[in-house]
Order: sequence, then structure tokens, then C-alpha cells
Amino acid sequence: MTINRRTFGTRMAGAALGLALALSSVALPAPAMAAGFPEKSVTLVVWAGAGGALDTYGRKLAELLEKESGWSVKVDNRPGGSGAVGVSQIMTQPADGYNILVFTGTLTFGIAQGLIPFELKDFRMLRAMQSEPSSLAVLSDSPFKSVDDFVKYMKENPSGLKVGGHAPGGFHQYMLYQLMKSGGFESGWIPHDASGKVTLALLGKHIDAAMMTPSTGLAQVKNGDIKLLGVSTDKRSEFLPDVPTFKEQGYDIEGAVWRGIAVKAGTPDDVVTSIQAAVDKVTASADWKKFQTEQFQDSPNWNEEEFTKRAESDLSSQLEFLKANGYAQ
Amino acid sequence: MDGILQSLGVIFSFSGLAVLIIGALLGIVIGALPGLGPSIGLSLLIPFTYNLGPELSMLMMISLYTSAEYGGSISAILLSTPGTAAAAATAIDGYAMARKGKANEAISISLTASTVGGVFGGLALLLLAMPLASLALKFGPAGYFAVGVFGLTSVAALSGGSLVKGLVCAAFGLALATIGIDPIAGTPRFTFGLFELYEGVPFLAALIGLFAVSEALVMIENRVAAAPVIKDKVGHVFMSGALWKETWRSMLSGSVIGTLLGILPGVGGNIACWVARDYARARDPHPEEYGHGSANGIAAPEASNNATVGGALVPLLALGVPGSPTTAIMVGALIMHGLHPGPQLFTEAPSLVYAILFGTIIASLVQYAAGSLFLPLMARVMRLPDAVIAVGIMAFAVLGAFAIRNLMFDVYLMLGFGVVGYLMKKLRFPVAPIVLAMVLGYLVESNYRTALVSSQGDYMIFITDPVSLLFLVLSLVSLLTPLWRALQARRARRIDVDEAANGTVR
Repeated sequence: MTINRRTFGTRMAGAALGLALALSSVALPAPAMAAGFPEKSVTLVVWAGAGGALDTYGRKLAELLEKESGWSVKVDNRPGGSGAVGVSQIMTQPADGYNILVFTGTLTFGIAQGLIPFELKDFRMLRAMQSEPSSLAVLSDSPFKSVDDFVKYMKENPSGLKVGGHAPGGFHQYMLYQLMKSGGFESGWIPHDASGKVTLALLGKHIDAAMMTPSTGLAQVKNGDIKLLGVSTDKRSEFLPDVPTFKEQGYDIEGAVWRGIAVKAGTPDDVVTSIQAAVDKVTASADWKKFQTEQFQDSPNWNEEEFTKRAESDLSSQLEFLKANGYAQ
Repeated sequence: MDGILQSLGVIFSFSGLAVLIIGALLGIVIGALPGLGPSIGLSLLIPFTYNLGPELSMLMMISLYTSAEYGGSISAILLSTPGTAAAAATAIDGYAMARKGKANEAISISLTASTVGGVFGGLALLLLAMPLASLALKFGPAGYFAVGVFGLTSVAALSGGSLVKGLVCAAFGLALATIGIDPIAGTPRFTFGLFELYEGVPFLAALIGLFAVSEALVMIENRVAAAPVIKDKVGHVFMSGALWKETWRSMLSGSVIGTLLGILPGVGGNIACWVARDYARARDPHPEEYGHGSANGIAAPEASNNATVGGALVPLLALGVPGSPTTAIMVGALIMHGLHPGPQLFTEAPSLVYAILFGTIIASLVQYAAGSLFLPLMARVMRLPDAVIAVGIMAFAVLGAFAIRNLMFDVYLMLGFGVVGYLMKKLRFPVAPIVLAMVLGYLVESNYRTALVSSQGDYMIFITDPVSLLFLVLSLVSLLTPLWRALQARRARRIDVDEAANGTVR
């Protein structure tokens, strides 16, 4: 009943808009396919609103699944509830692979904080396709030249600098917490509700240092207004060859926000195999590689086993961080 | 120079004008539909711009963005249903004017003011992008807090007859704004365990319910009343010289306010419209007309919400940082074309930058032309019987609430707000202060607390921060001016009485 009503609503929206919605979301006739998955159009449930980084990824994936694998795909934006709305959407559908969740690494934070009322074992984490690190950023006129300088200052002046970034209790604060543990210092955290505001706060000197995704302040990083002291990748990023990693500087910190796809647990193996094969065609395509470069995205391309292991270890260490900072019980 | 010529060549080519016109028509329709606004419009448009090349796709997006800011006023005026959050302030006087049979006049004021505001914002962007960008950097959390407080002082102006009722409604709105994930502590508050409320009460659901559904319910109740008489001749687009003379000041002040507020990240047309209306009202020799169909009560907010478009593009072009969800989508589109916004664009792709700069101005002019096509058609809506209008409002309200997040929850919430709004109208409580307080509540609270976190609890930050000090002083002035005027009026009356008693003649 609910489903019917939703479909009806979608149609009403489509009719009212006339063109755009109808053309982008209604399935195109699928080309002739071998028997097996998919026999009908597949829905990518994006747990964020249209237009953001996750949506851009979801729509590119949809486009290339159609182009490279001959699927017919529609994108369904289900923002809200820190991801809980999107997760609930796939959990209320059958485990048949026709509803694929497009989501980010904040899943584990959401589960740890109790915001997303599901567990990792409710998912089959199929593939992590994009990832972006965090970095320690200061203005170019800052006296700090390295992570060591920053850590030394913070040790001598506990909470002596205003350090901030996107969201309270999220990935970037988690990376700062790792740095605090590794460097043995204390720091406060000034949360911002949009990543663009972090760059502006740093440029306007409302904060002294930021933990942020390098691409957030890309223009300023490139023209030298913002200096990155360290980046949380394992090896130097191909997009930022001049920025040393935390690891190189003796701080054993590595982490990234990933974006990927998952289906409901219980989805049969043969369906998952078909999805994996289709995604392989996407990641092998020149279009995808070009897209990743333009978006400054690393391609972790973790398979199900590795992705799941990664998510599990993220969850346990983030739970510890959240408890230590009062974000979770 | 080459860049300028190239960009003008693109804009005035056949395809350039075509995308501008298509963008404007789409924008007006999307803006007029409640729930669909510029950001949803742009995200729907993006896939169709892949093959257009960066200049054309930016032109189309800017045109849609600009016209959607205007389109929101159409349903605000005709149906008391703000099509976008930025048209909420317009609904008050626009709808009042339309009910007086002057729908055509109201729409032509809003179209003209929107165009003036859009051109003004575009000129500011063209001439002052770099210096204005530094403004975005001056505002820290304390500054944003003070701007929000300043906005809240306009509650008195929105209260209609009773200030107490206005304050009750504002307090209700502020309370609603505390629902959702705590901006500093990151934990859910007052959500009743519903994850639909994590991001707070969806503002559009409240807006549509309070303004539109409540009005439809009142209409249905009064259905025996005759259809409103149209006194106005339908179909003229141009504003009369007298109207120009009456409204040019509020158009100008609205344009300046919109441009400046548009530059600030997170502050867009939805806040600018209230500030502009309040400013115009404070300066108006006839403030009592506001709320009863004042022309300036349409001109000021409509000029301001379109001026935010030029303002919002300032940080995008000058700093490479999007200041609003809508401009964030434009960044996404640029990246799709392999370009990264920021100051380096001026050297890497000058023709694109100039296409955006000139396009912002020209899109406003195209919007005027496209809007005037719609105008005679739109004004006729008011000739429909109330019963038809009421049903139409309900249909659009449900559609718009559902379109926010594709959740039935938002539809039920919207209907709930509709009942609340209906009861409030019966009891003569004003609904506008709730909406204002919901818009500003989050801005005020999150920035107040962020400021205190960054000052480690020292309240002096609100005084030592120059921007904060400025706006707090302005807020005080705004609060005390009516008191001062009332005192003076009383004194003047007393003198009159005394004079009358003494039998002196002036």
C-alpha cells in the first residue's frame, strides 16, 4: 500500500514537472540481456539529497551501469535521518538486489551513535568505489611547517589553538582524535555544518587550524593560501604529491571517507555476483577513470570481504572515539 | 578582453539565448510549485547540461536559479502558498493585495522588483566580486549570531495587532527550531525517536502547512461567500509611474540587502526576504499598510531574494567556495566539465567567468520577458471560485510536501501544521513569526554555541567581534525605535491635549 502511494506520488511529481524528472528517473527500455539479473530496472537509493558529492557519484554510477553493463537504472534520492531514511528504504524492500544503497563511510558513525537503527550484519557491503582523506590545514602565514610543529605547540598550550572542521562527532573530528592520541595532546573541536564553511572560517581566521578534505579548499590549496601539513592517506596522494602523509611524519594515522554500494543482507550470491560483474565493467571504463580524476577521488575498489572488514574495524575504533568524547554511550 | 567578447558571443548566440529562455521558463514553473525550489530544479537540470559545454550549462543553470527565485512569488501571491522559502515574506502582502482584486498589480510588482534585484545583484557581482568576497570572511560565528538576532527583531513588525501574540508565535518557532540533531553535541534532541526529524522539522512542510493549507481551510469554511471581484484589468505587465515612484526605494534597499546577505554562506533568500521587508517597513511613512497589501511589502522581499543570486555567486567565483546549496550544485556541474571554481578560473577559463558574470544580469532580463508571458495567465487564477482554488492549494501542498524528501511523513507533518495554522488564524495569531523564528532559530543557536566553544566560554566575543557588535547595536536600535516613536506620539498627544485645554491656537 505504502509502495503504491509512493509510486503514485512520484508520478504526480513527474507529471507536474513535465520533463526533467520523467526523463531522468523513468526507465529507458532495457537492451536485450542474457537471462538472470537484472530482469527489470534497478534502483540506486542515494541517502543524500540531489546535487551533493554522494549524488554526483550515484548518478555517474547509474549512467555507467546503463552504458557499460546495459542495465536500466533509476536514482532515488532518500535524504534524511543521518542516512537512516535511505537505509530504511532498502531494508523494507525484498533482498533481491533491485534496491542498491549508495552511501558513505558515515554509516559506521551513524550505527555507533545509535542514529541508524541497524547493524553492519544487516548489509552486504559490495564495493567501496571512492574515498577522500582528511588533512590538517593551516593558513600559509601560520608559523607551523609540519605536523610536528603543530603537535609541539598543542602539547605546550593545551587547547591553545582553535581547531575545527565539518560536523560534530564525525570523520574529521575522529581523525583529529587519532592525532591527539598519537601525538599526546589535548584539543577542542569547533564543528561547522557545511564543509565549505570550514574553508571560509580558516581564511577569515575564525579558526587556526582545520581537519578537512583537501578538495574542500582546493582553490586555496593550489594558490598557496592554505597549507596542508599532513594528509591521512597511506601513501602520498596522486592529487597532492607535495603534501606529506601523517605516517611519513611519524604519526600512525590513516583513514578516509569512502563512498560505496551495499544491498540488504540475504541477497543471493548469484545476484551479488552479477552486480559485482557490472560494477567491474564500470570501474574498468575510461569514463569512470576520467570522472574519478576530475573529482579528486581515490579509487579504493575494495571488494565485499575487504570492505566489510574495513567497516567493522572502523566501527569499533569510532565507537571508542565517540564514547571518549561523549557522543555515544 | 578576449574573454569578454567570447562570452558575449556565447550569450547572444542562438543556443545561448535558447538555454537562457528555457532555463527561465523552467525556473518560473519550478519556483511556483511549492516544495520545488532552485536547488531541486538545478539538480534535475544537471543531467541535461552534460552535453552543452560549460558556458551554456552555466547560463542555463543561472537562468533557472534566478527565475525560480522569482517564480516562488507567483503562488505566494495567488494562493498564499510560497513556492520557495524565499517567497514567504511576499505571501503576506502579495496575497492580501490579490484578495483585494489586485492580483495583476501584485504580480507585476513582484516581477519588476525581482528583475531589479537580479540585475543589481548581477552588477555587484560583475563589478565588485573580489572586494565583496572579503565580506564573507569577516563573518565568524559571533557575527552570524548577531545577524540572526537582528532578523529576529522584526518579529514585532510581523505581529499584526498584538505584539504578545507575535512573541508567543516566535517562541513556538524557536522551540521548533531546537528539534533535530544538536549542532554542537551531535546527539538527537526532541525527535521522539523519529529519524525523520534528525535534520529538524522540515522547514518547507511547516511553511506550506501554516501558509497554504490553513488558508485553504479558511476558504472552504467560507465557501458560501461570493467569488472575489476582479477590479483590475488583467494583462498589463508594466508598472505604472506612480507605482515606480512608490516602490523604487524599497526595491533598491531590498537589492542591497539581498546582495550582501547572499554573499554570506548559509544565509540566502529565505532570510534576506524578511530582513528586506522589515527594513523597508521601518523606513516607510505608512508602516501600517504592511500586512494589508502594501506594494512595498512585495517589492522589498522580491528584490532581495533575486539579488541573493548575484551575491551567492561571489564566494563561488572569488573563493571557489559555494555559499548555498544551490551554488554547491553549480560547483558539481563545473567539476563535471573538468573545471574547479575559484580565482584561478579567471585565468584558466575567462570566457566562462564572464559568461557567468554577464549571464547573471541578462538572465534577469530574460526572466522579465518570460515572466510577462505568464502574467496574464496567472492573474486569471484569481477569477476561479474559492472552492476550486482551495482544492488546488491542497493538491499542490501535498505534492510539494512530498517532493521535499519523498517521505509521507513530511506530508502528514505539513497537514498537521495546516490545522495548527487554521486554528491560529481563527484565534488571530500571526503565522509569519513562526516561520521567521524557524529560519533564524538554527542560525542563532548554532552560531551562538559555536562562538562560545571557540572563545572557550567567554561572552566578550559578542562585543569584541566588530561584526557582532555592529549587528547587536542595530538590533537594539530596531527594538527601541518603535518604543521611542510611541513615547513621542504620546507626548505629542499630551501636548495637543494641553494646548486644547489651555485654549491656545497653533
